[in-house]
Amino acid sequence: MSIPEKIGNYISGRIQALARMIFFAVKVFRRVMTPATYNSATRTVLINQIYFTSVQILPVFLLVSAVVGSLFIGVVFQALKNLGLVSLLGNVLMGLIVTELSPFFTVLLITLRSGAAINAEIAAMQVNREIKALEVFRIDIIDYLLAPRVVNGIISVVLLSFLFSIVLMTSGILFSRVIFGISTDVYVNILLNSTNFSDIVVALLKCAAFGFFITLIPIYSGLQATHELTSIPIVVSRGMVRVFAAILVIEVLSLLIRLL
Amino acid sequence: MPISREYKVGVFVIGTAATILLALLFLAAQKGFFQTSHTYTLSCRTGDGLAVGMPVVFSGFDIGRVHSLELDDKGAVLIKIRVPDKHAKWIRQDSFFVLYRPLIGAARIVVNTDHLESPPLAEDKIAEVYVVNDINDAIEKIQPLLETIERLSRRIDSMAAKTDEQVFGREGTLPQLNKILKDAAGKLEKLETTVDNLNKISKDAAEGTQDLGALRADIDEVAQTLNKVSRDIDALLYKQKKPEIKLP
Repeated sequence: MSIPEKIGNYISGRIQALARMIFFAVKVFRRVMTPATYNSATRTVLINQIYFTSVQILPVFLLVSAVVGSLFIGVVFQALKNLGLVSLLGNVLMGLIVTELSPFFTVLLITLRSGAAINAEIAAMQVNREIKALEVFRIDIIDYLLAPRVVNGIISVVLLSFLFSIVLMTSGILFSRVIFGISTDVYVNILLNSTNFSDIVVALLKCAAFGFFITLIPIYSGLQATHELTSIPIVVSRGMVRVFAAILVIEVLSLLIRLL
Repeated sequence: MPISREYKVGVFVIGTAATILLALLFLAAQKGFFQTSHTYTLSCRTGDGLAVGMPVVFSGFDIGRVHSLELDDKGAVLIKIRVPDKHAKWIRQDSFFVLYRPLIGAARIVVNTDHLESPPLAEDKIAEVYVVNDINDAIEKIQPLLETIERLSRRIDSMAAKTDEQVFGREGTLPQLNKILKDAAGKLEKLETTVDNLNKISKDAAEGTQDLGALRADIDEVAQTLNKVSRDIDALLYKQKKPEIKLP
């Protein structure tokens, strides 16, 4: 096979893989949006998933948010003061920290904790032929396995990202008072003046997109495992790389939407 | 009694979702989404720096937003601003509107009202917007300074050229100074010979002075001898007691 043929085959394979993933994503999205999907078994799985992804890590998440958020806010506020850009405080706080940093930080935490776990779980089920067994018993794996995890991803990223923003804005009250001598009323007024509904809507949609893909891609990668145990680490690492690529793509797309 | 997993998840989801909803409602209320508003039309010569959503500011506080922009039949830009009812009191008939474009930060329309007791501005009246541009102002302020610096630079160049000619030119100071210094050096050489001669004369004079000392001692001795001779003669004369002396 000549080099151009090899390159053509490689590109064709990649495009087909991407098309299969998009087709799979559309299929899962349609089932997620169908009320009939949510039977009692699906609801139980969904509750368990939300519990493991959000509720269980909530104290640690809030602690990390407070530490990282305060550090970031302190550095940014100090830089604004040194540059004489105090008037841009609200724009920086809402435009950079709340709409960009919060979703990004949240999605990174959830991907590292839950995305990898879901990927390994589905891959292990595939290796142990549990997914085949479910199909034999005529249990729909999209309803039972995929939909609850994807919905959990969307709910968890949106809610935790919002909590992260709340923690950041609260620590912003303290830092604005210490660094700029701004009272709470003025701080709230600055935030309100700098807040646009369109930014919030874009941030919420971005969080939902993050949540959808950081669970869908690990599931899709996990389902590609063969019946050998050695395939588990391969599909997990491949899935995580795809997830991080998807995060970057969503970030860029959201930035483009905000610019338009 | 242990709290069930379902209960914890329910509290988390409902609590956080309710907080999000309340925050959005609060934001909407503060932004005036639930308020009726007044729409005023302003006119401006140019649309540069204008954008839909641009804030309308009174005394540093946002009181409204630019709702839409359009061109009229004469080519002027018509700016429709929407101001909530609670802020409409700041806009009066004698209010004037300034499009302020700062060097750093977002542009805004600033409302200035001198007499708050004057009648409210009618919504069908078109007020003019004046443009204040920090960038142009800064350039205008810097321009005379740049011109002065340029003029100074030209003068310094001219002065440097003249100085160069006067100092280093054919008839300049430096060649003449060299000539004077050469003359001075020649004269100094001659002066050295004179000084040598003077030293020699001085030495001879010193030696002459010593001879004069010996001569004076001789003269003193002669004077003393003469003095003694005189005294002897006086003594002899006294002994003769004759008033007249017969000289041989």
